[in-house]
Amino acid sequence: MSNYFNTLPLREKLNQLGVCDFMDSSEFLDGVSALKGKKLVIVGCGAQGLNQGLNLRDSGLDVSYTLRKEAIEGKRDSWKNATENNFKVGTYEELIPTADVVINLTPDKQHTAVVNAIMPLMKDGATLLYSHGFNIVEEGMQIRKDLTVIMVAPKCPGSEVRAEYVRGFGVPTLIAVHPENDPQGKGLAQAKAYAVGTGGHRAGVLKSSFVAEVKSDLMGEQTILCGLLQTGSILSFDKMVEKGIDAGYASKLVQYGVEVITEALKQGGITAMMDRLSNIAKIKAFEISEELKDIMRPLFQKHQDDIMSGEFSRIMMEDWANGDKNLLAWRAETGETAFEKTPAGDAKIGEQEYFDNYLLMVAFVRAGVELAFETMVQAGIKPESAYYESLHETPLIANTIARKKLFEMNRVISDTAEYGCYLFDQACKPLLSDFMKKVDTDLVGKNFNEGKDGGVDNRKLIDVNEAIRSHEVEQIGATLRKAMTAMKAIKTA
Amino acid sequence: MSSPVNMNDRKSKSPLGDLGVSVAISSLNLKYQQKSVLKDLNWNINRSENWVLGGTSGSGKTSLAKIIAGLQNAIGEVKINFDTGSHLPAEVLFVESWYQFKNLEGVANFYYQQRYTSQQAKDTLTVHAELVGFGKENGLHFDHVEPILEALNFATFASSQLIELSSGEHKKLQLVKALWLKPQFLIIDQPYTGLDASSRKNLNILLDEISADGVQLILICNDSELPSSINHFAEIKNGQLVEVDSIDTVSATEKHSREIPYFLKESPVYSSQNIIKMVDVNISYGEKQVLKNINWEVKAGEKWLLQGHNGSGKSTLLSLVNGDHPQSYANELYLFGNRRGSGESIWDIKQHIGLISPEFHWYFDATSTVWQSIASGFYDTVGLFQQLPYTKSAQVDELIAYFGLTGSKNELLNTMPLGKQRLVLLARTIIKNPELLILDEPCQGLDIQQTQHFNQLVDELCSNGMTLIYVGHFESQLPTCLEKRILLENGEVKIVESLNTKTRHNEVRSNLLHGTI
Repeated sequence: MSNYFNTLPLREKLNQLGVCDFMDSSEFLDGVSALKGKKLVIVGCGAQGLNQGLNLRDSGLDVSYTLRKEAIEGKRDSWKNATENNFKVGTYEELIPTADVVINLTPDKQHTAVVNAIMPLMKDGATLLYSHGFNIVEEGMQIRKDLTVIMVAPKCPGSEVRAEYVRGFGVPTLIAVHPENDPQGKGLAQAKAYAVGTGGHRAGVLKSSFVAEVKSDLMGEQTILCGLLQTGSILSFDKMVEKGIDAGYASKLVQYGVEVITEALKQGGITAMMDRLSNIAKIKAFEISEELKDIMRPLFQKHQDDIMSGEFSRIMMEDWANGDKNLLAWRAETGETAFEKTPAGDAKIGEQEYFDNYLLMVAFVRAGVELAFETMVQAGIKPESAYYESLHETPLIANTIARKKLFEMNRVISDTAEYGCYLFDQACKPLLSDFMKKVDTDLVGKNFNEGKDGGVDNRKLIDVNEAIRSHEVEQIGATLRKAMTAMKAIKTA
Repeated sequence: MSSPVNMNDRKSKSPLGDLGVSVAISSLNLKYQQKSVLKDLNWNINRSENWVLGGTSGSGKTSLAKIIAGLQNAIGEVKINFDTGSHLPAEVLFVESWYQFKNLEGVANFYYQQRYTSQQAKDTLTVHAELVGFGKENGLHFDHVEPILEALNFATFASSQLIELSSGEHKKLQLVKALWLKPQFLIIDQPYTGLDASSRKNLNILLDEISADGVQLILICNDSELPSSINHFAEIKNGQLVEVDSIDTVSATEKHSREIPYFLKESPVYSSQNIIKMVDVNISYGEKQVLKNINWEVKAGEKWLLQGHNGSGKSTLLSLVNGDHPQSYANELYLFGNRRGSGESIWDIKQHIGLISPEFHWYFDATSTVWQSIASGFYDTVGLFQQLPYTKSAQVDELIAYFGLTGSKNELLNTMPLGKQRLVLLARTIIKNPELLILDEPCQGLDIQQTQHFNQLVDELCSNGMTLIYVGHFESQLPTCLEKRILLENGEVKIVESLNTKTRHNEVRSNLLHGTI
C-alpha cells in the first residue's frame, strides 16, 4: 500500500485539500431515509461505537455490532457494552455478509487489519464507513471497487454525542465521500442520513474530503491541541516551581487554567480570550505571543510539511511496527513530569485569577491557534477546516486536561494524536528554552497587574486590538460559531 | 452599618456565646432582580432550640438557609457561635433539596436517562466507596453509619454506582452523610422529599437522636409529622421572620378560576386506542433484575395511578414507555399500537407523550426562560432549538396566561422557586395536547398547598380525554380523576385494580394499614 495523497497529481491534491462546505439544514430534509431498513453493522464497541450505535437505533435504524472472536469469547468490555444494551452481537463471519453498511469505529492502528478481515466478507455494493481517513489517505488502503466509502466524524467525545442527542440536539459533524469509491453515487446521501441518525444535522455538518480531514486533523492535534498545551503546561509549572511559587498552587493553576482560559476562546474566539485581560496585560500577552509565533513558526511548518509529504505517517507507522517503542517511552516520560506528580493544592483560584496569573498560557494559546490556522491555510486547507481543527477543538482538549492532567489526556486521545503530541513536545521544549529564561512570575504564577500602573497608550491599544480582531481565524470563527449555534442561540436570547 | 456577609467573619467566635445564642442574624437583606426577598430580617437561635421554617414557596426560606450556611452572600450580619466545648464538628451543614453529584473526575456532566445505559467504563463511585471516602475525610467510624443505612432502608444500595441512583436516593445519601457527621448545625431543605412512609418515620427518630447529642436542627418544610425535638416554628412573611405556634399545613388553596385554553379542551388526536401493552417485560442489569414479567395494558383515556416503594421499578417502567430505555428493544412492548423497535425513532414516540419527573426536571436546561421551556414541549427537546410558527407561539402565550405565569414568562427557570418551576414543566408537558401524560412524582418537593393546586390543574387539564399515568406516594394527595391503579413491588406487578373514586382514599388507606403496600 502506498500513501494515497502522494499518488495524486498536484491539481487533484489541491482539489481534495480544498473541500469544506457548511451544509444548509435543508440538505437534511430526507432524514434517515437513505439508511432506513438497511443493516448497519458497527465494528468495535468503545465510547464512540456504543454511543453512535445507541443514537442510530433510537433514530429508528437497524444496528448491530461485530467484534473479534476473542472479544466475544472473552466477554470483554466491548462485548458487554453491546449485549447489555440489547444489541445483537456476532463475529465478522456472522454479521458482515448481511451488512448494507459496515461502520469501522476501531482505533486507527487496527484499521488495516480490520479492513483486510472484513472486506472479503462484505456483500457486493455495500458501504464502508470510517470516522477518520487515516487508513485511506496515509496508509493508502485500497477498497474493493464495488464498495462505497464514506466518512462521518462527530467532532466530540462519544459521551457528548449521546448526551446532546438525548436532549434533542447534536454535535458538529464532518462528512465526506471517498472519490475513488462511490460507484453508485449514493455515498453523500448515506453520509447525510448517518449524520441525521446521530443527531449531527441539528448542530451543523461540514462537507469535507478524506484528504482534507486527515491533513488538517493531524496538524491540529499535534501542534496546538495536544502538543502545545502539553509543552506550555509543563514549562509553566516548572517555571513557577523554580521561582518559588507553591507547587500545589502551580499545579492547580496549570491543570484548570487552560480550561478556564479556553472557555472564553470557545465563546468568542481569540478576541474574547484576550479581552479578559486588563489593557496592560493584553498588550503584554500580545507582544509575547508574537514572539512565540516567530520562535515556533518553523516547527509548525515542519509538522505541516511532514504531514503533507507523508513523512509523519511513515515514521509513526515505523514505530507501530517497532512495538510502539517511542510512544511508550514518551508516554512514561510524561507520567514522570513534576506537574503530573504534584496534586492540585487546596488554594481557591477565582475565575479571573486564572487569566491574571496565567498570562503566559493566554499567550501560548493565541500563538498556537493562530500559527496552526495560518500554517494549514497556507498549505491549501480551507479556513473552515483549519478553524475546526485548531480553535474549535482546543477547549475540548483543555477540558480533558482539567479532568485528567496530561498523562491521561494523552491516553484518551487517539494513538495518532498522542504520537504527534510527543513528537511536537520533544522538539518544542528546546526551542523555547531561551524564551523561558526571560519569563518571570508576573507572567505565570502572580497577578501581572500587581504593582503596575494600569495606563496604556491609546494608539498602541487600538493597534493591538485591531491585529487580534482582524486575524482570519477571528473572521471565519465568528461566521462559523454563528452558524453552528444559530438554533442554540434562541435558547439564550 | 451593614456589610456583606462573609464566611470568614461568621466562623469567628463572637462574644454572644455567654448569652446562649448560637445563631444571631440581624438586618439581613437580600434582593433578587430588584425584588426584595429578605428585608431587615432578624433571627436569634438559642442553644436548645430546633426550628422548622415553613410558609409559602418563594418566600426566601432556601436563600436564608444558604446564607446561614455561608453558601450565598447577602447584606447584613450573620454570627454563628459554635460551642467550643462540644465534641461535634463546628460546622453548619446544609442538605439541599436537590443534590448534584459528581463523577470520579469531579465533574457533574451527566445527562438525562444515562443511568439506564450499560457502560463498562465506570465513571462514578459506588455508594459504599463514596461513604468510605466521606468517613475518612471527616474522621468518622464506619460502624456508626450502618444503623443509619438500615433505618433509612438504604443498605442494599451499597454496591450501586452513584449514577444508578434516582434523585430520591441521592437525597437519602445526603441525609445519611449528615446524620453520620453530626455537625453542630444541620439545616435540611425538604427533608421528607422522595422518602416513603417508613423512611420518614425513621428519619424523625434519627433526627431526635442527633438532637439529643447536641446537633441543632433547622428543617425547611411544611409537613406535620416532625421530630419531637422540634420546639420552634417560623415563617418568612414580607421578608421578615415571624415566629408562629405551628406550621399551618392545611391552608386554603387559591381558587383557580381561569378558563382552559380552547386548544386543550378538545380531545387529543389518538393514533391508536392501545396506548401501552407490555407482555412479559423483563429488565436487568447484569445479575440485578429490576423488572420481572411485567404485563400491563393502558387504553386511550384511562387514568392510572402507578405506585410502589422506592426502588420498586416505577421509573424504569416509565422509561420504557417514554422510549428512553435501551433494553426496550429486546422486550415485547407496544406503544401507540406499534411494536417497539419496528423502525420508529424515540422522537416518534415522544411526540405522543408529555412527561415530567424529578429526574427530567433535574437535567432540564434551567437557563431557558419560562416561555422557551414551555415552547420546547412541542419538540420534546431540552432547550428550544427552533423558531415557533405563529399559531404555536400564540398557544404558548395562552397556556402561560392560564397558568398565571404571564408576568414571569421571560424569567430564567433557575431563578424561580421549585414550585413554579414544576408548573412551568407541567405546562411544557401539556402544550401539545399529548395523547399520554406521564406525571412521575410531579409534586416531589412541593408543599401541601402547591400540591393541591397542581393536582387541581391536572384534573382540569385531563378532563378532555387525555390518558394519564400518575406516580404519587401513598400518603400524598392525588388528583381525583384517577380510576385505575397498578402497584409494583420488587420489580413485579403486585396489584392491578380499579379505583372507585368515592372510596379510593379509604381503600388505599386500609391497604396501608393492613400492610399490603
